[in-house]
Amino acid sequence: MAIRHGLLALLDEGPAYGYQLKAAFEERTGGTWPLNIGQVYTTLSRAERDGLVAQLDVGADGRVVYEITDAGRHEVAQWFASPVRRDAPARDELTIKLAVAVTAPGVDVRAIVQTQRSETMRTLQALTRLKIDAAEKPDPTTDTAWHLVLERLIFDAEAEARWLDHVEARLLRAAASTTSDRTPAPDGTDRANQGSAR
Amino acid sequence: MTAPVLELVDVTRIHGSGATAVHALRGVSLTVAAGELVAVMGPSGSGKSTLLNVAGGLDTVTTGAVRVEGTDLASLSRAALAAVRRRSAGYVFQDLNLIPTLTAVENVALPLELDGRRRVRSNALAALEEVGVADLADRYPDEMSGGQQQRVAIARALVGERRLVLADEPTGALDSETGEAVLTLLRRRVDQGCAGVLVTHESRHAAWADRVVYLRDGCIVDSTAYDVSPGSLETAR
Repeated sequence: MAIRHGLLALLDEGPAYGYQLKAAFEERTGGTWPLNIGQVYTTLSRAERDGLVAQLDVGADGRVVYEITDAGRHEVAQWFASPVRRDAPARDELTIKLAVAVTAPGVDVRAIVQTQRSETMRTLQALTRLKIDAAEKPDPTTDTAWHLVLERLIFDAEAEARWLDHVEARLLRAAASTTSDRTPAPDGTDRANQGSAR
Repeated sequence: MTAPVLELVDVTRIHGSGATAVHALRGVSLTVAAGELVAVMGPSGSGKSTLLNVAGGLDTVTTGAVRVEGTDLASLSRAALAAVRRRSAGYVFQDLNLIPTLTAVENVALPLELDGRRRVRSNALAALEEVGVADLADRYPDEMSGGQQQRVAIARALVGERRLVLADEPTGALDSETGEAVLTLLRRRVDQGCAGVLVTHESRHAAWADRVVYLRDGCIVDSTAYDVSPGSLETAR
């Protein structure tokens, strides 16, 4: 629905044809989610079927110019006014992998966590590099949109890294408590030894 | 090919001895070249701060070697080591950075004065100018915001020809925007040819580095180089 509503919101600013909408959508979202033109036309024809947009004009080159209808305007207003629903968690491969790994015999979960942490950090480094580049070469027309899309991706990667830290700390605590059940640790045990004692 | 600015070779650091000995570092090797910023991450107690302290000659290694611009710190007399700390390495900490009874420019000038340099004030002013707080030169630390104080601290860490900057949670006490400004500054100095080591627990801040090193129980367990081009991000989208 994000594309449909995004395109409707753009049409709310004035009539446009498919390629213009595709270009505007990509520019406004920092090019993070490229659209293929077929997807744009499919979305527009479904919106037309639902009475949200109408054909305003067909150019000599056969390009169809679309305009938004009153029903479409209402739909856009509704979209901006309502929260994005979060009640169904997306199927996430990393969460599934770790959930399975912690109960699977003979799997080194700490190694999985570290491998992922490095991968997430690489993503974070790449995003940060893009952010630094954007700050060095400001482009006032797309700056805010690009910046906020990048920040969103940075927050996501950061959250994943923090969750991985949490998973690891939790595993260490669990390992330490099983160890100390068997051999009670003397007072003043070197904290650094707990990890290797797992 | 010039020598790396900082080189840690199989460094161990044991605090205390016998049953209560704490192995803060267990065979850490790390090389930081000019123009490279390395972030060190790890849980508390993993050895991050010890690594930074031995790198800057604030603490000595038990075994192994620390070389700053090719000089083995263990080979130096007390006086020579102090000179390295003033001339080659600069430090930025989370807080307690500036001397409260000195103005900004006096704080920055301090290492130069101790070193018996000339044109101390003009060099210190130039360093403040570079970090964008020249107008605060005559203020005392308690007359500046946290972000401004941290800028002055960075100016002090880099004044003179020092080529190694060691930062321990330099953004810790700052709000996110001010913290980012401090990182921008650090990054710029490194891009101009310094070598930097940044200890942080925030992955968002570590991501400003060229390489991120993970410490666990005194060992480096993993390291990520910045090897993802924006192009490959494009295809991942």
